[in-house]
Amino acid sequence: MSGRFIVRRLLQVVPTIVGILLVSFLLVHLAPGDPVLALAGEHGDAEYYADMRERFGLDLPLPQQLGTYALRVAGGDLGFSYVQGRTAAAVIAERVPATLLLTGTALLLAIACAIPLGAIAGRRPHGVRDVGISGLALALYSAPVFWIAQLAIIFGAVRLGIAPVQGMHTAGSDAQGLDRLLDVARHLALPAVVLASQEIAILVRLTRSGVIDELSRDHVRTARSKGASELAVLVRHALPRGLLPSVTVIGARAGSLVAGAAIVEIVFGWPGTGRLLFTSLQSRDTPVLLGIFLFVAISVVLVNLVTDLVHAAIDPRVRLG
Amino acid sequence: MGEVPRRADRAFVVAITSDPGQLNPAITTNGSVNTAAGLLYDGLLRLDESLTPGPALASSWETLDGGALYRFHLRRDVRWHDGQPFTAADVEFTFEQVLLKFHSRTRASLGPALVDVVALDDSTVEFRFRRPYAPLLQQLDVVEAPIVPRHVYSGSDPLRNPANTRPVGTGPYRFVSYQSSGEIRYAANRNYFRGAPSVGTAILRVVPDAATQVAALEAGEVDWLFSVSGPERERLRRQPNVRLLQSPLSAGGNNCITTLGFNLDRAQFRDLRVRKAIAHAVNRPQIVERVLFGEGRAADAPISSRIAFAYAEGLPIPAFDTSRAALLLDAAGWRRSDGGTRTARGVRGIEDGTPFVVGLTVLPGQSNYAEMLRAQLRAVGIDLRVGSLEQGVFAQTVFTERDFDTAIGAYCNGTDPEIGVRRMLVSSSIAPVPFSNMAGYRSLAVDSLFELAASALDPAERRRFYRAMQEIVVADQPYVWLAETMGTRAYNARCRGFSATSHFLATATCIP
Repeated sequence: MSGRFIVRRLLQVVPTIVGILLVSFLLVHLAPGDPVLALAGEHGDAEYYADMRERFGLDLPLPQQLGTYALRVAGGDLGFSYVQGRTAAAVIAERVPATLLLTGTALLLAIACAIPLGAIAGRRPHGVRDVGISGLALALYSAPVFWIAQLAIIFGAVRLGIAPVQGMHTAGSDAQGLDRLLDVARHLALPAVVLASQEIAILVRLTRSGVIDELSRDHVRTARSKGASELAVLVRHALPRGLLPSVTVIGARAGSLVAGAAIVEIVFGWPGTGRLLFTSLQSRDTPVLLGIFLFVAISVVLVNLVTDLVHAAIDPRVRLG
Repeated sequence: MGEVPRRADRAFVVAITSDPGQLNPAITTNGSVNTAAGLLYDGLLRLDESLTPGPALASSWETLDGGALYRFHLRRDVRWHDGQPFTAADVEFTFEQVLLKFHSRTRASLGPALVDVVALDDSTVEFRFRRPYAPLLQQLDVVEAPIVPRHVYSGSDPLRNPANTRPVGTGPYRFVSYQSSGEIRYAANRNYFRGAPSVGTAILRVVPDAATQVAALEAGEVDWLFSVSGPERERLRRQPNVRLLQSPLSAGGNNCITTLGFNLDRAQFRDLRVRKAIAHAVNRPQIVERVLFGEGRAADAPISSRIAFAYAEGLPIPAFDTSRAALLLDAAGWRRSDGGTRTARGVRGIEDGTPFVVGLTVLPGQSNYAEMLRAQLRAVGIDLRVGSLEQGVFAQTVFTERDFDTAIGAYCNGTDPEIGVRRMLVSSSIAPVPFSNMAGYRSLAVDSLFELAASALDPAERRRFYRAMQEIVVADQPYVWLAETMGTRAYNARCRGFSATSHFLATATCIP
């Protein structure tokens, strides 16, 4: 695959990001609700709010605010968050690792479970295993994530005590090294499993139908007639091409998970960008909000690029150019 | 459970609902900042649970010039957490440069009356007013007026000072660290002038989801919840390792009354009989029982019964009486034929045949009140249509655009009627300002009674003015006062001795 392709795709990213920035800026500013209220409290007089508006430049015409913001962002400055008392970039950067850890683990977990399950289900459609696996996938798919999360907390954490209820590490713990790692892993278990359950539901169904589709094709019949074992047929001939739709979907999910883990992060008190998005929305913390939108946009675009490359690698029909 | 890293010296873990961000309570009235930072600071005075002012940073005070001049004598043994001595210059600076500029509530209530705050020497500070000002002593606690250090903030923009995220106060706890995971750590201030707290380490942890907070308390992961809702309270009551503490204080303010406001600009509410009818149709005890699960009190005056010196007993609040409500509505021209929704016949400003459909605008957290009111008003033939708006949008729709029929506001009275009651009743606060005069109520008599009460130094006289004011307001019924709300704190039973104030942890002791 060519370096030129990658460079060209990256250049295409620029107008996409500019467009997203513009739209999200307008959305945030045209939405009802007043950042000054959220920031300064709600007990002032009219003069106080006018003062604050002037201080933050909120009294300027919208195009002028947008111009100032765009120039700053171009220079790498996401602005100062008065709610957080620090720059928006610092606030967001702090939360990104937690989100990547959670979504990355969930996605890997989902892939590791869903692909074998999907392949087993697809091998004999409507067999006992398929009915069981597909039924489970359907159930997971239909259950709202906050409900699964609450069940996980009640049974997994409170009743059985196998994992902590909330947070990313034990409160007040200053453990370092391996202890720290184990502590974080224990806290990661429930949210990662809950988040993965949603992805498993989708991926199992996709993999299953991909495998069913491939098993009826000519090249599989050829492989069988050459005497390949059923396992080899499944793993070597049907699965790789049957996975193509799943790869596309994994790519799309990975991008959106960066922000879409919000519910899981809120329920489990996980300190990631999804939770930050939620609180910033409540407090109308515009610099942080726009910063997160920008971060999510860039992540989605980059993950899409990677998806295209993976596609090309596993499907010989796809040529990059 | 494997090798679990133990909490260092068994820290006390406090669950907070949202990330406060910065920790300077003098530049905002944001509830989450005040909740998180209360332990770090002090006011000149403190208020006990009956709201009686007592000494804190100020050890004594004198009221001079008939109440137009207050002189405070400060403690000389107080040091900031960084070791610098606390002096009167800090008080002057905090008021002049920070509170009166950025603390919206102090600015709005104290600002117009105050001439200046002057440090006479290191341990004496004077507040000079244009005219006698009675409520001052209720407005100097750590919630209304936290004192911040001059040597840290002087010459900087208080909104951007880095100390806002590494705060320096005088309070019972000092700031240790703000972890990137959103965890905030405090340590006991060993030199605290009211005595060092017994609990050595406090950890504030953001747990946004209410159900998760309760689960974390049950599992022993957190030790303190600021607020527990009705159904969960019943569950926690049965837990042997959990204790509950009721308090009129909440993050949004103290002594709150959930209030239904009529938009008096709307034709259907100009008729007093309609407002009285709705007041009769509302079953307040049922609201306390079913919405608040008994945690609160049916409101029976415009001023909270917790502000004992101003609350008026025995006011003629309309009792729950649906037949009386029906008679009043009939008389006002809203007729009911088939037991359904009433329609207008001869109502001024309203076309005949218009059904009595009323919008009710609420915040998301108040949808339980809304549903209850909807059911109660349906019984008298009024069709209430509930619209739930998120906080910022609610403020804009109700107070700026005044685009509503009725709305529910949680009016927190604060510690003095000057703080939270005046703003909802005087005509000068009909303004595009949140939680101001929602009804758009104008009464010259009420305006002047508030003026008189604010400059009356004799408590008995002040009480009389407030009583007269409340009688007029109840007769005019611009609002229906629904319920005085309480908050329930929940904590791990290994600890005891909490107070319901901002310094809740300072007096507590725990067994490890």
